[in-house]
Amino acid sequence: MTFKTTLVAAAVLLACQTSHAQTAKEVAAEMRQMREELRLLRAELEGLKKQKQPDPNATATTAAPNTTSATAADASTAPQREAEAAPSAVSLFGYGELNFTRPKNNIAASEATARRGVFGIGYRFNERTRFVAELEVEHAVVSSGDSGEVAMEQLYVEHDIDDGLSAKMGLFLLPVGYMNESHEPTRYYGVTRNLVETAIIPSTWREMGVGFRGVRDSGLRWDAGVVTSFDLTKWPNDSAQTKESPLGAIHQEGQKAKAASLAYYGALNFDGIPGVNVGGSVFHGGIGQKQPDIASPNASVTLAELHSKWQVGAWDLSALVAEGRFHDISGFNTANSVGNPVPDQFRGWYAQAAYRLWRKGDYSLVPFARYERVNTAVNYSSVFPGQVVSTGPDNKVWTVGASYYLHPQVVLKMDVQKYRNNSDLDRFNMGIGFHY
Amino acid sequence: MLRLFSLLLCHLLMRSLHFLASFLIYSTFLTACSGGAGSASTTENLSAAALLGQEIFKDPSLSASGQMSCQTCHDPSIGHASPFTTAVALGGPTLSDPGGRNPPAINYLKYNGAFKFDPDGTPKGGFFWDGRASSLAEQAKGPFLNAVEMANADAAAVIHKLSQATYAEQFKRVFGANIFNDPNTAFERVAYALERYQIEDTDFAPFTSKFDAVMQGKEAFAPDELRGFAWFNRADKGNCAACHPSTKPNNAPAALFTDFSYDSLGVPRNTDIAANLNANFFDKGLCGPTRTDLSARTDLCGAFKVPSLRNVAKRNRFFHNGKFTTLTEVVNFYITRDTNPTAWYPADPNSVLVYNDLPALERSNVNVTEAPYNRTGLSPALNAQEITDLIAFLNTLSDR
Repeated sequence: MTFKTTLVAAAVLLACQTSHAQTAKEVAAEMRQMREELRLLRAELEGLKKQKQPDPNATATTAAPNTTSATAADASTAPQREAEAAPSAVSLFGYGELNFTRPKNNIAASEATARRGVFGIGYRFNERTRFVAELEVEHAVVSSGDSGEVAMEQLYVEHDIDDGLSAKMGLFLLPVGYMNESHEPTRYYGVTRNLVETAIIPSTWREMGVGFRGVRDSGLRWDAGVVTSFDLTKWPNDSAQTKESPLGAIHQEGQKAKAASLAYYGALNFDGIPGVNVGGSVFHGGIGQKQPDIASPNASVTLAELHSKWQVGAWDLSALVAEGRFHDISGFNTANSVGNPVPDQFRGWYAQAAYRLWRKGDYSLVPFARYERVNTAVNYSSVFPGQVVSTGPDNKVWTVGASYYLHPQVVLKMDVQKYRNNSDLDRFNMGIGFHY
Repeated sequence: MLRLFSLLLCHLLMRSLHFLASFLIYSTFLTACSGGAGSASTTENLSAAALLGQEIFKDPSLSASGQMSCQTCHDPSIGHASPFTTAVALGGPTLSDPGGRNPPAINYLKYNGAFKFDPDGTPKGGFFWDGRASSLAEQAKGPFLNAVEMANADAAAVIHKLSQATYAEQFKRVFGANIFNDPNTAFERVAYALERYQIEDTDFAPFTSKFDAVMQGKEAFAPDELRGFAWFNRADKGNCAACHPSTKPNNAPAALFTDFSYDSLGVPRNTDIAANLNANFFDKGLCGPTRTDLSARTDLCGAFKVPSLRNVAKRNRFFHNGKFTTLTEVVNFYITRDTNPTAWYPADPNSVLVYNDLPALERSNVNVTEAPYNRTGLSPALNAQEITDLIAFLNTLSDR
């Protein structure tokens, strides 16, 4: 224990001493090398301990001496293999959120649900390569008679190509907005996720493909990648789903995803000033997927967003604006008189302010307020004369509430939502959330 | 307390918004987002397309006979079911050609979807008794061109007639001045107008039955109706709710009394239908012969769409072949089909020819495993009083 503490302290000291003279990139490389050495030493120590400990299964050992001998020999001569199997290579993580909702004008529709339980596992192959899998269970029960869902939310391998440059391959979350990549309930305000980052930016939005991330010393972070896209053939004839989220209605989520048309994304964020983040992203992908049985095989969608956050003192201020546009959809809309045509545009924005009113130890109370404006069908132009279209709804929503943290990773939430355009949707929400 | 809390939060919010105002660098985006104008349809009134659909629905001039409209077979006063007391309607150029099936009630079909197989293989959705049309619009085109219904030769014939109609100018105003120059597109618009009419006019989905009033707490069931509701739902009694759910689905404001699935019930052959005079002809629903894409799925032979039971008491004929004329007959058939088959099927000296509207090899498709059928050798699932109760309940499903 003392040995380990000394080694870590030395590493930190070394890092501090050199930080003025070295660049952050050099320090990171040095730290990585030292962690690797520490890991090897720890494995060697474990091997030595094992050799010295009396075997509790002495009878079995006597009965199979060759096996025991071989194991001990392996342990002492192959520290690398031991190191790779060490428990520290594996990490478990996840989050949960359980909600209660009571619509103001329709008490019969009150609902309590285990909204999400997410179980994640990570495995570090070495200092540069790791694997992440995240399994999500929505609404507690999944069966033919229930509306729950089980899904792989993430399943990818990540590799550090160089200091400050990494690549992801597999099924991963796109770096769009704030909530898509960081959606644990302790990390956002409100019992449910905000409307913009669910209706306009589908949540949780993952695609299959390859993505790159670069981080510069200046605080600039960029992302770019090539991934699967959406599937227009999933567009329903009933507008209920598409009014909720146009892209959410046609997402593929790595489930036998049509991949004749891919998508490209790019994101840029600046984190160079403490407490400040400014960024944005663009996604463009084919949605017609070259399908011969629809009249718009080359249809596509573009989604762009800008976001900003300022955490200063007890304040946490943020805002985000997002807009999506469908292209080349007139064929789809007019063929066979589609009952639920695809709109040209969908967009929304929010501004949010939260204030840490009180804190004692791990406990804290953070009231917040958010105003959102969201329209999932702004206009239609690619329709035939006389075709019935339904724009909107143009939702204008106030959400006011508070998060009470029992611990930075455990939060009790409460809020009231007021829809200025439709009081039928006004509601009171309560929930508990945690992540680990 | 809550109000105080809200006031405090609002105060904090105003301060923070003031702060934000100078911070947001993309105010132009915010301005752009304040739009939302568009050609919104209203929910209170019918759209222009739906109004045209209403005209077309009632217009007999669009048929070869000049005497048959959609409404001829789908009477609004009885839930848009067939007003005929015969099993099938007579159509064609001289209204003398018998149809092949009982014209179905078309209320509440806006909550139906395209035909598909559920993940467990259950066929669901689709329009017509065999689900061969994928939408209300697709379905609407069928009768115009069916030789034993409105009997038009092709789309051009329909559009020529429509161009002479009193609402032809309105049709051009809505769908374009040159719409009649392209008969195929114009025919698509006719179907679209009929679809919009069925979607938008609440006459097609009124939800005004006693059952609805009871569910809303405005009325109460009479004792026999309440008992009937129990027999309807209980899996060991009528088990009607297995295919005619009495609970609200996600996409409708109240129960629809159908899950839009298909079942093979072994309804007795109806020799009142002209086609059935040919002993070798069998109308097998999903697997044909009218529907052609599932002819290889012999396991689906005999399966027809489960209709909504809303307004069922108003119907003159029941099942796809219109074999029965009263609800009492229908319920008794369900209850005693397998406990007393001689009441329903013809018998020769040696045996009863059960499920006689299917070829012998496909009679095994008939549902015999679910209640109330699974009672062979046992007493029926419902006694006479329970059947009376059940019918009393079914009467509460009539829109008023």
